[in-house]
Amino acid sequence: MRYKLIWLLAVASAALLAVQIPIIFFKLPDELNQGMVYRIIYFHVPAALTAFTCFFVALICSIGFLTTGNARFDSVAAASTETGLAFATVNLITGSIWGRYAWGIWWTWDARLTSMLVCWLLYAGYLMLRRAVEEPTQRARLSAAVSIFAFADVVIVWKSIEWWRTQHPQPVLSLRGGGGMAEGMQAPIYWDFLAFVLLSAILILIRMRQENVRREIDSLRRFAHAL
Amino acid sequence: MDPRNFTYLFYGLLAAWLIIFVYVLTIAARERKLQTELDRVRRMIEEKEASRR
Amino acid sequence: MRSLRAAWVVAGKDLRSELRTKETLNASLSFALVILLLFSFILDPDSQTVRAMTGGLLWLVFMFAGALILNRSFARELPNDCLEALIASPLSGAELFLGKCAANFVLLVLVEVICLPVFGIFYNVRWMRQPGLLFVVLLLGAWALTIIGTMFSALTVNLRLRELMLPTLIYPFLVPALMAAIQLTNVLIGGDTLEKDDYIWFRVLAGFDLIFTLLGMALAESVFVG
Repeated sequence: MRYKLIWLLAVASAALLAVQIPIIFFKLPDELNQGMVYRIIYFHVPAALTAFTCFFVALICSIGFLTTGNARFDSVAAASTETGLAFATVNLITGSIWGRYAWGIWWTWDARLTSMLVCWLLYAGYLMLRRAVEEPTQRARLSAAVSIFAFADVVIVWKSIEWWRTQHPQPVLSLRGGGGMAEGMQAPIYWDFLAFVLLSAILILIRMRQENVRREIDSLRRFAHAL
Repeated sequence: MDPRNFTYLFYGLLAAWLIIFVYVLTIAARERKLQTELDRVRRMIEEKEASRR
Repeated sequence: MRSLRAAWVVAGKDLRSELRTKETLNASLSFALVILLLFSFILDPDSQTVRAMTGGLLWLVFMFAGALILNRSFARELPNDCLEALIASPLSGAELFLGKCAANFVLLVLVEVICLPVFGIFYNVRWMRQPGLLFVVLLLGAWALTIIGTMFSALTVNLRLRELMLPTLIYPFLVPALMAAIQLTNVLIGGDTLEKDDYIWFRVLAGFDLIFTLLGMALAESVFVG
């Protein structure tokens, strides 16, 4: 049943991308100042949105684990955070490359890049903590607490850094289309977001199954020692 | 049009998909490792149960 | 009220044991001094640019020195199974957490209060211009560091690489509080009055403290006992 679901998601994701990519590259015109390179935004922004969706899923599952004690919640939380971190990395790297072209520098302490870096560090810390704790239940408990803390912090971090940057102006990377983009140019961002979310769902399902297998191995090993 | 424009676009998209691809590869590697571990533990249990009887 | 009293008992125990040996305080203060010394090589203490950086310098020193205190907070309970005894006691997780936070807070504020005049001397900074508000910022910032640090100290107490992981974990969390504290300290040490724009940072700091105190108390039981 799960394999069928994964295949279905893969087909849907691939179909969406297959439709969007020709649109992104051929139908849309070049941007006035940046030429072709602005098209990175169609992967840069959906990656960020996907990352936050994954982190939010991790939050819900962490709360779920702490309230019910069901270990499956922990598996999903861990899987979701890892996938979210992968997409956050995509966001950071594509933003960096875009910035290199747009302003000639690889990194800038622009509000959004800085916030994303802090988020990345928060959740990298989560994964690091998971790796350091060996006992499964304790690992699940501690990770759940960190995940809840981290998401609360993510919200505060984004707002604070935005205020910091308005007081200390830096070059602003116009990430979201918002007011700046023409009508037809916004849609691919959301379609790509959907495609990425489907892709992340696949990765989460696979990864979650791996966490469950690991738990099964742990319990089997304990059973073996008891024999 | 500035020719670097296309280069940066290319590298940017390459980076994006490469990262996801590398992540998929690590998942696959972990899958293999887990499978061997699972087989090993199951074998160990069978041996112990066989030796008990 | 009984809860507060219980927390106070824990805080008293920690403070009493620390003030008798003063080992963590001494280590923390020495470390702070060393950092101030090192910074003096990096920056020219008399230049105008340093004026703009005083807040950042001060809070970096507090963060680094504070990590030492926070690390010891739960680590000192490891020998002789004291941690198990605390968890098995009638104290609830939240009470234990608050008690530890209170003790760490007192120690942190002590370090800050000692560092401030030393900083003033080394870097030729007159920090007494707006003492009241500056002290409020110090307290709020210290509480932010305490709350996050104590929670993560509890989380990492049983890990091998505890000393390494605690700073790595807490500093990203503290970014908003740190920014707010730095911004406010810069203005207040410079002797300027706070403008309307700056009050937002007070709100950030207070909001951060409140949110994470509540979260910490809510999650303490799960973290300690499970």
